[in-house]
Amino acid sequence: MTFDKDIVAVALGICKECGIDDARITLLRGIENSVVVDNDRVDKLHQASSSSLYIQILVKQRYGAFSTNIMDPDVLRKFIRQAAESTAMLTIDECMVLPDKALYYRGGGADLKQYDSAIETLSSETRIETAMNIGREVIGTDRRLLSVEAEYGDSVDYVYMADTQGFVGESILSNFSISAECSIIGKGEEKPKEWWYEGSMFFDSLKKTGCGTMALERALRRLKPVKLRSGKYNAVIENSVASKMVAPIISALNGAALQQRNSFLIDSIGKNIFPAEMNLVDTPHLPGMMGSRYFDGEGVATRNMSIIERGVVNTYFINSYYGKKMGIKPTIEGPSLLKFAKDGDISGKELSLAAIIKSTERGILITGFNGGNSNSATGDFSYGVQGFYFEHGEIVHPIREMNITGNLIELWGNLLLIGDDPRDCMRWQIPTLSFGNCVFNGI
Amino acid sequence: MNDYFKIFNITKEYLSKLIAIAMSKGGDYADLFFEYSISNELSLLDHQVNAIGKDADYGVGIRVLKGEQTGYAYSESTAVKDMERAALAAAQIADTPSTSFLAPAFKEIKFVNRYPIISPWEDYALSDKIEFLNNLDTELFALDRRMVKVTERLTDSDTKVLFFNSSGDFFCDERPLASVGVSCIVSENDRIETISFSRSFRAGSEMLTDCLKKEVIDHIAERIPIAFEACQPKGGKMAVVMGAGGSGILLHEAIGHAFEADYNRKGTSIFCNKMGKKICSEKINVVDDATLQGNRGALNIDDEGIPGQKTYMVKDGILNSYLHDRISAKYYGVAPTGNGRRESFRFNPIPRMRATYMENGKCTAEDIIKSVKKGVYVDNFLNGQVEIGAGDFTFYVKSGYLIEKGHLTSPIKDINIIGNGPQALADILEVASDNRIDNSTWLCGKEQYCCVSCGMPTVLIKSLVVGGN
Repeated sequence: MTFDKDIVAVALGICKECGIDDARITLLRGIENSVVVDNDRVDKLHQASSSSLYIQILVKQRYGAFSTNIMDPDVLRKFIRQAAESTAMLTIDECMVLPDKALYYRGGGADLKQYDSAIETLSSETRIETAMNIGREVIGTDRRLLSVEAEYGDSVDYVYMADTQGFVGESILSNFSISAECSIIGKGEEKPKEWWYEGSMFFDSLKKTGCGTMALERALRRLKPVKLRSGKYNAVIENSVASKMVAPIISALNGAALQQRNSFLIDSIGKNIFPAEMNLVDTPHLPGMMGSRYFDGEGVATRNMSIIERGVVNTYFINSYYGKKMGIKPTIEGPSLLKFAKDGDISGKELSLAAIIKSTERGILITGFNGGNSNSATGDFSYGVQGFYFEHGEIVHPIREMNITGNLIELWGNLLLIGDDPRDCMRWQIPTLSFGNCVFNGI
Repeated sequence: MNDYFKIFNITKEYLSKLIAIAMSKGGDYADLFFEYSISNELSLLDHQVNAIGKDADYGVGIRVLKGEQTGYAYSESTAVKDMERAALAAAQIADTPSTSFLAPAFKEIKFVNRYPIISPWEDYALSDKIEFLNNLDTELFALDRRMVKVTERLTDSDTKVLFFNSSGDFFCDERPLASVGVSCIVSENDRIETISFSRSFRAGSEMLTDCLKKEVIDHIAERIPIAFEACQPKGGKMAVVMGAGGSGILLHEAIGHAFEADYNRKGTSIFCNKMGKKICSEKINVVDDATLQGNRGALNIDDEGIPGQKTYMVKDGILNSYLHDRISAKYYGVAPTGNGRRESFRFNPIPRMRATYMENGKCTAEDIIKSVKKGVYVDNFLNGQVEIGAGDFTFYVKSGYLIEKGHLTSPIKDINIIGNGPQALADILEVASDNRIDNSTWLCGKEQYCCVSCGMPTVLIKSLVVGGN
């Protein structure tokens, strides 16, 4: 699939006409198709294509970020001229610069295999049939099934970026997904609901069967929940939601959070903050993976990086602006494809969810979060949880109305196991995690 | 109105033609939603107003209904070929052989303007916006030596909407929305805490008053000393007093979503068999209201042509109405309630809340607090969530107090509270007479985002599960 990208050169030319010192223009193009099926009937057909320009400019060390989906050159000229005039009224900020050119991605990387041209010839009938098949797996199989909502979706995301320092980069990704949400008859008026999701960048690799069945099984497992007493329990967090305990760490290592002192990981570089079993790496060049990319939003080349090695913090995520502001070398604006590296101490063990539960005497398996938040400055968190109480490797019963509360550094200090079961369809490859001595609040 | 036709480069005749294309496959209903939105943003960091932004978004969403089924497509261009391609794509939801449809005559829908703009943002000088942010920054740093960082954000947007449907209903609406957000980092003895505050209105630049500035300053000043004393309490099940204002998040999460009629139509809401039944104390009236002037949740007319109105979801303790869009209203055989909303022309409308609040009861907040031996008082929130079918909801408390023997004692912070919607509603024991609408920048996510607001008088809930150590 090819997209017309001439508008980027036009926009850069207009920036020059308007006396803008430096500019970065990003063209975003997207195509989306989705089919939603309610039980055995198509509920919604959705089709869309979108296009927008993101225009970042520097006018005498003043910064503005503008966007528009109106591509007419005359309208764009007026838009950029006004942008330049308003940006010129800001305070000078000497840290506002384009990246050091030496950090740019210069092309030549192998194909990351993120685009499937099959998307160009997929018929509406195939899309509808794929969506219909999700629900057919479960309709009529269990009298407790109240409804199943299934969705098939596919999309193309194209990015073309160029700046006044000569950077040019582009990427194209396809994505195919199916999901199912099953509602079942519960106690009284309750209708517990669970969902499942499969995704792939290639249509043939998309796992098209089993999704509806999995959603129904997960919903049925939630029948007859029990309210547990407050106390300390081991926590096993399923791979589909375990990134909840990693995301606040990544946010806290971001330059903006560090410079604004809104981070619980200030001055953490080189310090042993996390357990020795923790090795978190960014591997941005793995082919066929959702998170892979050769350059970040500034055009800076991505590379394999150790973020946390044997518990020691190795990397902050620093873009050009915060690099200058903090007086440190820029790295990358954020991780691409996070994963836990194997560690000698735990390799050789089977670390599937079942194995982790089996090796954890008793505790709570968290399969979903219900709200909650964390304090970025302190690392304190409190989240609502869904899941199951287990003993001796066996699920005993579902739980309900429980919170897990604590502090992220203390939580990771109680790390028991890091699984080896990340889901391929997720951008961050976070496996099942288990922690000891977590505070759960219940009755 | 002519300006709108010019903006979207269309004529009434062409709208009739486009709606006929959308209906050409035998749809029951179709609508066209043209939208042009300009959003501006200005931010302050480290004492400098150092970043500016603007977004221009333009396009048309075309929806076709066949029974309860939806076909939806949009175009970011109003070139004839692009709009007609989108209309044909949406039409595919109906599958009868091509039929001819003659669009009826235009009927302009009349409505009350709930957000008259006194001073348009486009007339407000950028230098004045910069001065507002700089002055606020100076005053915030003058408040307390423990202030370490301040970031501020001022946004304003103006959205022009033109709507036409296959029944001939037509309207144009201009929707302003602006907000001021402040985030402060305070530090004492190596302890760092964050305090945030926001205000948002459907208003022009007249909202940037000294009174608004004072509200920001007073809020931050009040919270600084508390921030260093507060800690996570001992968790468990206990009585919860929800203070007036932002506690409306309880209504939004615990019952509001479950009253949205799409979930009930599909039989997946925990309230789907409760219409006309008593669900809580007769002291309780819960409203979803589009008519509050200048409120973030106000709507002159919804995104499918139903004028804004006040809807009693709960009246005297009885479930009185769901929140309807056109599809669910037809399904239930009732009039739509004006809750058909969408994030932008890129989305089809679905039932969404507006300003959701509880009307006043009779007692006082002081009496409620006095009646609690052990529990928590909460009045400052960040976010919430709900499981519609099971009814379990949560909200995250940024700050509050312990209640011990009828008095507010130690400050608390950073805890999640979880409960079950129908049970929590039934467990509201007392309602005070101090209802207040909270004008924070509330944003509701349900497949798509919509700006909303909420409000609440002080209430006592018998027990909820409170997060803590």
